[in-house]
Amino acid sequence: MAGSILTGRTASGPLAAAAWDRRAILLNDLRSVLGRAYPRVIGLRREPSWLLFEVLLPFLTTSAFVFVYRALQAPPEYLGFVVLGGAMTAFWLNVIWMMAAQLYWEKDQGNLELYFAAPMDLMAVLFGMALGGMLSSCLRAFVVLVVGTALFGVTFSVEQWGLLLLVFFLTLAALYGLGMMLSSLFVLWGREAWHMTQLLQEPMYFVSGLNFPVGRLGFLGALAIALIPLAVGLDAMRQLAFSGTAVDFGTPSPEVEALILVGMVVVFLALARVLLRTMERLARHEGRLTVRGR
Amino acid sequence: MDATTSSLGGPAGPTTRPAFDPRRAERGPKRANWRAFATAARLGWQMEANWTDPLLFFIYSVAKPIASALILVVMVQIISGGGPAAAQGRAFVVIGSALWAFVISGVQGVAWSVLDDRERYRMLKYLYVSPTDFLVVLVGRGVARIAVGGMGAAITLAAGVLFLGVPFDAAQADWPLFAVVMVGGLVAIVALGVLMAAICLQTRQESWSYPEAVAGALFLLVGAVFPLAVLPPAIQTVGLLVPLTWWIAGVREALFPATISSVGGNGSLYTDVTGQAAPGAPAIVLALLATTVLVTLTAALIFRISEARAKDRGLIDRTTGS
Repeated sequence: MAGSILTGRTASGPLAAAAWDRRAILLNDLRSVLGRAYPRVIGLRREPSWLLFEVLLPFLTTSAFVFVYRALQAPPEYLGFVVLGGAMTAFWLNVIWMMAAQLYWEKDQGNLELYFAAPMDLMAVLFGMALGGMLSSCLRAFVVLVVGTALFGVTFSVEQWGLLLLVFFLTLAALYGLGMMLSSLFVLWGREAWHMTQLLQEPMYFVSGLNFPVGRLGFLGALAIALIPLAVGLDAMRQLAFSGTAVDFGTPSPEVEALILVGMVVVFLALARVLLRTMERLARHEGRLTVRGR
Repeated sequence: MDATTSSLGGPAGPTTRPAFDPRRAERGPKRANWRAFATAARLGWQMEANWTDPLLFFIYSVAKPIASALILVVMVQIISGGGPAAAQGRAFVVIGSALWAFVISGVQGVAWSVLDDRERYRMLKYLYVSPTDFLVVLVGRGVARIAVGGMGAAITLAAGVLFLGVPFDAAQADWPLFAVVMVGGLVAIVALGVLMAAICLQTRQESWSYPEAVAGALFLLVGAVFPLAVLPPAIQTVGLLVPLTWWIAGVREALFPATISSVGGNGSLYTDVTGQAAPGAPAIVLALLATTVLVTLTAALIFRISEARAKDRGLIDRTTGS
C-alpha cells in the first residue's frame, strides 16, 4: 500500500494502515480541529452581516439592562455587572447554538453520518466548532466589555489578575465541556433540540444571575453555582473584577468557585466523552441517529 | 370531460386521476390568498406545536417570557427593595417584558419561516414556484409563532397580576383602546417580521439569531422596561418613530392606567416638545397608526426588492452551513 498522507509511512495492508500510533492520532485530531474551524472562520469573512447582527445589536440589548439600572438609580457596580454578564452571554450563545445544537443541524443536513464514517474523534470536531465560533464570540464579548465600559463609565477594581484570567479560562473550558455533553444529547432528539436551545437562554440567564449577583436568588442561586458554569464563573469574575465593592455577593469566595469550575471541567469533559462514544456506538450499530426529519 | 379522457384532453392512463377543475384556476386572488394564508398558518401551528405533548409545549412556550420578566423583577427588587416604588417598577417591567414576547415571536416567526424552509426542510423553492403569493405564505407561517408568543405574554401578565402586584382592574380597563392598539401593534410586528424575512432571504444559515438581535436592539428604544426619559434625546427621537413604542404605551394606557408612562414624564422628549406629562389615548392611537403605516410600507417595499434580488442571484434554494 502507498504511504499514508498522514504519517508518510508505508503499510503492508489495510489493517496495518489502520493501526495508527499516538502521534498519527494526535495529528489527525489536530487536522480535524482545524478543518472544522476553517468554514466558520471563512464564513465570517464571506458574509460580514454578522458584525451588525451578532456584535453591534446584542450590545444594544445589554445597554437596555444598563438603562434599567440607571432608571432605578442603582449603584455603579450594577452597571458593571450587566456589562460583564453581557460579555459572557457571547460564549454561552456560542456553546448552545454553535456547539450543543450543531450535531442536530448536521444530522438535519445529512452530514452526521460523514462525521461518524470519517476516521477522527468526534470531540475534535466539536472542539473545532468551538474554536471556529470563538472568533465571533470573542469579538462580541470584547465590544460589549470595552464599549460598555467606556460608554457607561464602568470602573473595574481588580486585585488578582491571575486568578481572574484563570477563572475566565476555566469558565470557558467548563462551558465548552457542557456544550460537548449537550451536543451528544441534542443529536438523540428531534425537534425538541431546537426548542431546548430556546429554553437554555432566558431561563438560564435568570438562574445564572446574568444581570444581578446570583447569590440574591437564595437556594436557586446556590444550586446554579453548583451546576451551571455560567453562574459560578460569572459570580467569581464579578467578585474579582469589583473587589472592594460594598455589594454583598452572598456566595463562596472566588478561590472556592475556581475549584468548583475545575470540578465542572473534569466532569463535563468526561461525561461528554462517554456520551459521545455511546452515541457513536448507537450510530454504527443501529443507524438511527442519521435519520432525518422527525 | 368523460371518464376516458385525461384532464388535458388525451386518452386516460391505466389509473384514474382526478379530473381537472377549471374553477380552481379562476378563483379570485383574494380567496386564493386567504386559503394560502390559512393553510400556511395551520401548517405553522402544527410545526410549532406537534413536536411534543401539550403540557411540555406549554411549559416551553411560557418559560422564556416568564424568565425574562423574572430577571427584571429581581433587578428591581434588589435595587428598590419592597416599597411602593418597587411595586410600581415591578409592574412596569412585567408589562413591558410580557408584551415583548409578542415582538420576539412575531419578528422571529416570519423570518424563521424563510430559514426553516430554505435550510432545514428545503421546501422554499417549491413554495416559491407554487401559485400563491410568497409573502402571504410567509406571513401565514409566522402567525403561528405570534400565537405562541401571545400565549407567553398572557401567562406572564396573568402571573404578574396574580403574584407580582401588577395593578389590573377589568372594570377600569379601556377595552376599545386595547383592541385598536393590539391590531395596530400586531400589524407593526408582522411588518418588522417581513423586514427580517427580507434580510434572511439574503443571508446565510446562521441568521437564526438575527431576528432576536433586532428585537433586542428595539428593546432599548421603545420604553418596554424603562421610561424613554432615561435615554438621551436623540435616541428618544428614534424611539418615538418606532410603532412598538406607541403600542406598548397604548396597552399600558388601556389595561394598566395606574402605571407610569413609558413615553412622557420629567426629562422626556415628548413632554419637552408637547408640554404634556404623558400622551393620551388619541395621541397614542394616531402615532401608532402613522408609524405602523410607515413601517409596513417600508417592509413591503424592502421585501419585494429582496425577493427580486434573491430570485436573480439564485438564493431561494441556497443552503449554507458552517
